[in-house]
Amino acid sequence: MTRIHLRINGREQSGDAEPRTHLADFLREEMNLTGTHLGCEHGVCGACTILIDGRPARSCITMTAACQDADIRTIEGYLDDPVMAALRASFKKHHALQCGFCTPGMLATAFDIVTRLPDADEARIREELAGNLCRCTGYAGIVAAIKAVLSEGVPAPAIRPIKRVALAASAEASPAIATSSAPPTGAVEPTASLEGGVTLSRNVAIAVSADHLWRELKDIQRVAAALPGAAIDTVTPDGHVKGSFTVAIGPMRASFGGNAHVIYDDASRSGLVRGSGGDRLSRSMAAGEVRFAVTPAGAGHAMLAAEIVYRLSGPLAQFGRGAVVADIVDRLLQQFTANIATLAQGGAVSEKPQGGFGLFAAAILSMLRRLLRRGQRRDQR
Amino acid sequence: MKAASLSYAAAASATDAVRMLSSPEAKVIAGGQSLGPILNLRLARPSGLVDVSRAADLRAVTETPDAVHYGAAVTHAEMEDGVVPDATPGWMQTVARRIAYRAVRNRGTIGGSLAHADPAADWVNALTALDASVVLTRSDAERTVKLEQFFTGPFATVLAADEIIARVIVPRRTLQARWAYWKFCRKTGEFAKASAAVLLDPARNQTRILLGAIERPPVLLPDAEAIMTGSITPARAVACAAPELDAASAAMHAAALTRALAMVAA
Repeated sequence: MTRIHLRINGREQSGDAEPRTHLADFLREEMNLTGTHLGCEHGVCGACTILIDGRPARSCITMTAACQDADIRTIEGYLDDPVMAALRASFKKHHALQCGFCTPGMLATAFDIVTRLPDADEARIREELAGNLCRCTGYAGIVAAIKAVLSEGVPAPAIRPIKRVALAASAEASPAIATSSAPPTGAVEPTASLEGGVTLSRNVAIAVSADHLWRELKDIQRVAAALPGAAIDTVTPDGHVKGSFTVAIGPMRASFGGNAHVIYDDASRSGLVRGSGGDRLSRSMAAGEVRFAVTPAGAGHAMLAAEIVYRLSGPLAQFGRGAVVADIVDRLLQQFTANIATLAQGGAVSEKPQGGFGLFAAAILSMLRRLLRRGQRRDQR
Repeated sequence: MKAASLSYAAAASATDAVRMLSSPEAKVIAGGQSLGPILNLRLARPSGLVDVSRAADLRAVTETPDAVHYGAAVTHAEMEDGVVPDATPGWMQTVARRIAYRAVRNRGTIGGSLAHADPAADWVNALTALDASVVLTRSDAERTVKLEQFFTGPFATVLAADEIIARVIVPRRTLQARWAYWKFCRKTGEFAKASAAVLLDPARNQTRILLGAIERPPVLLPDAEAIMTGSITPARAVACAAPELDAASAAMHAAALTRALAMVAA
């Protein structure tokens, strides 16, 4: 718990907050100021918009601890401000609210528009309102209400922006940050369809014979070693693999745990890995298939062709953009084929997961996950 | 929709922040406008946050004859409002004003946006086109990296785990230079679906044409002169630089480039 001191609606107040608590939760749960509404809780809908130091901000994605000593205004603290009084009257007159859920956020944004942009026309008002969603009014009433306040003359506000974050707050003793233990591996076993999945492929020529490369590929542990982020728990003789795949995209991280089946066809020197898994913590699932084939490419060279089809679902897929995932998977595939080439030629590959691989990749990888990494691979080799 | 349990520490300076980043599971947070949603969705579960938004030296702006050095924790709104000097003739101010929404701009920072490295982000693309650099600092060293070498993939940069962005250096541009930045957003304030930037600076002998929001780091187009003269069409330039784009996306990027070129010519 961290002791938090804020000036809320003109009153000095203190309370305890966990470091992870966002400002909206602190106001609602600790200060009992439930007029601040939480809609999407990830910075999209604008319902939680309040005034921090006199400027609008989204309280659901603002850490309480980052607001130490800030001046906070919520819907409960607008009563004595003349601009807010004018906005309230105008919202009522122009039917700018129906259910009222978005209204606290709308008023904070409207306050910012009429005080910061006195010359705003309708187009600018609509632009400025773009970050606040209303599902009832169709916005026409809200825009009209703000326009009316602007054209009738904006009273002098009592709430004013205060000087921005002071330059050097005295350094507080900073607690050391502990390393967290490894995230638990999910055990979700979805049977996701690959319909509508994304397909990517890579070909790489390797300076070893096709037979040598094929033997390399038949060692599941070795294949897993080539895939950054993959860890194998168990492998049965008939190619059933349990394992996990961890990917990181920027700050996002997902660890997909699940099952895979590896099938080899010696006659055609081709194979297939099919798998699916889930990341319990992000409630995301992934399914995929990797096809690979080795063909002789003359003069002691072999061509490795790898193709990956994957499908990601859940919050991870929702949050990410398809093309980002595709780029990450493609880089992973590139790394994978390069590592296979290195291993086949007797080299060693780094165990370190690649920094740039996204969670999305995770999805993909989840299929690969069966092959994957984990400290124990290191031990087994 | 609540962040996983973590520790929190506010850094008073860049040195302080680097010291607190000793754990690889710790994560730097500035305005938190991208990291906040990711934390709430638990897509990221760092063991701790190091808040640099109040670090004094990261909020300083220094001017040299040749460039402006922005502390990484300068907010988009401060750029929009002209609270900090603009190294360009108002171009950065215009870019800042179109970033997301005012409520986001009030907290989001220029350094945070670059470190997050969303391929569709405004600063990622505009500042790369403007030939900006970042100064990265860690306990024992400082290095300067041009933005075109800084991004290594979507959401990926050359930043080491114990390294932070201290400053962003933007070369000054005069009114003799021409600039255009064009982006398509499905909704005002949303991340761009396509973007393009053009910089013509005869004084520095620079012609830079950038294609952005391609879900990987932006690309500076080769043959910028030929694109300027029209001997390479925007559609052709897009097809060469980003062959992976599907037809609809390629068309959007070609249109963004066409419009940016028209703005520079106007």
